[in-house]
Amino acid sequence: MIFKNTQNRFGFIAIVLHWLMALMMVGLIVIGLIMVRIPISLTKLQFYGWHKEWGMLVLMLVIVRLTWRLRNINPVLDAIPMWEELAARAVHWAFYFFMFALPITGWLITSSADLPVSFFGLFTFPNLISGNEANRLLFSTIHEWLGYALIATFCMHTGAALKHHFINKDNILRRMLWP
Amino acid sequence: MAINRFFICLFFVLLFPTMVTAFEWHIVPDKSSLHFKATQNNSPIKGEFKKFAGNIDFDQNALDKTHVEIEVDIASVSTSFKDVEDTLKTAEWFDVKSFPKAIFRATDFKKVGDKKYEAIGKLTLRDITLPLTLHFTFEKYTDKEVIVTGSAILKRTEFGVGQGEWKKTDAIKDSIDINFKIEAKR
Repeated sequence: MIFKNTQNRFGFIAIVLHWLMALMMVGLIVIGLIMVRIPISLTKLQFYGWHKEWGMLVLMLVIVRLTWRLRNINPVLDAIPMWEELAARAVHWAFYFFMFALPITGWLITSSADLPVSFFGLFTFPNLISGNEANRLLFSTIHEWLGYALIATFCMHTGAALKHHFINKDNILRRMLWP
Repeated sequence: MAINRFFICLFFVLLFPTMVTAFEWHIVPDKSSLHFKATQNNSPIKGEFKKFAGNIDFDQNALDKTHVEIEVDIASVSTSFKDVEDTLKTAEWFDVKSFPKAIFRATDFKKVGDKKYEAIGKLTLRDITLPLTLHFTFEKYTDKEVIVTGSAILKRTEFGVGQGEWKKTDAIKDSIDINFKIEAKR
């Protein structure tokens, strides 16, 4: 088992973090889209609870992931056009931006609603700012649009990966599947 | 004698109002507060009742003559997040339309420590009246002014706060902390 990335392959840690966080973020988007639309109920409350604590877990994991990424070499991309390489790298860094910006704006929303986040009942995160309805609305709007931008970025990233796998039939997707 | 009679009259005139109002305290609304803290999704959710009034007859040297009645305007419930506030006013929670007031009455007071007291009384919330004990401490006690801070714990479901699916206490816990500060003048 190769834990660290090599010149040609992603290591085990990078792969696990990629798929684990991908799964969490898809779940967060789905729950997020549903929870804001359903009427006030126990289900809505439960969805908000999950969305908040799993969102905070993403924030914690992205710190680990960014540290790992900066301490590892990145496998070289096989012969692909320069613009594709640039686009791929830009999308990767966009994901890092979203993985920080979405949880932080979410934390700001829940802080301005004065509804602190419990981390799976283990401890409660402090509020970043005090309760304020105008701030809540502002951060909600930012969070919402960041969410839509994440969905768009996700589609580009997934579309490109599938295109390389099924049309170009290259190694790009496969190397993210197993070290 | 005229002068003696004058002094006797003066004595009663001065004494009489004092006898009636000796222990009567008037709440200073701007400096008094009534907060509550519940638990949702394992984290605290706080709010307050902005309006409450009451009659307080209290003398630390004559606890048996003490009587407190506090009336809380339930519609004055306030939370940082408007949706929570609006939800609390609905029929499933406080049902402000049917039950606009909560009333706490107590005549049974005990001294439990230095400046610390207990008020054993009854709280009417919605249409349910149950015993409730307040614990309070005098932060200040002079002839003219008192500052009291205190607390109580109650179970929301016992008062029917949270109907239907909200009777479940996993997501929103049953236990509610009440904290109050009362500044009163004589």
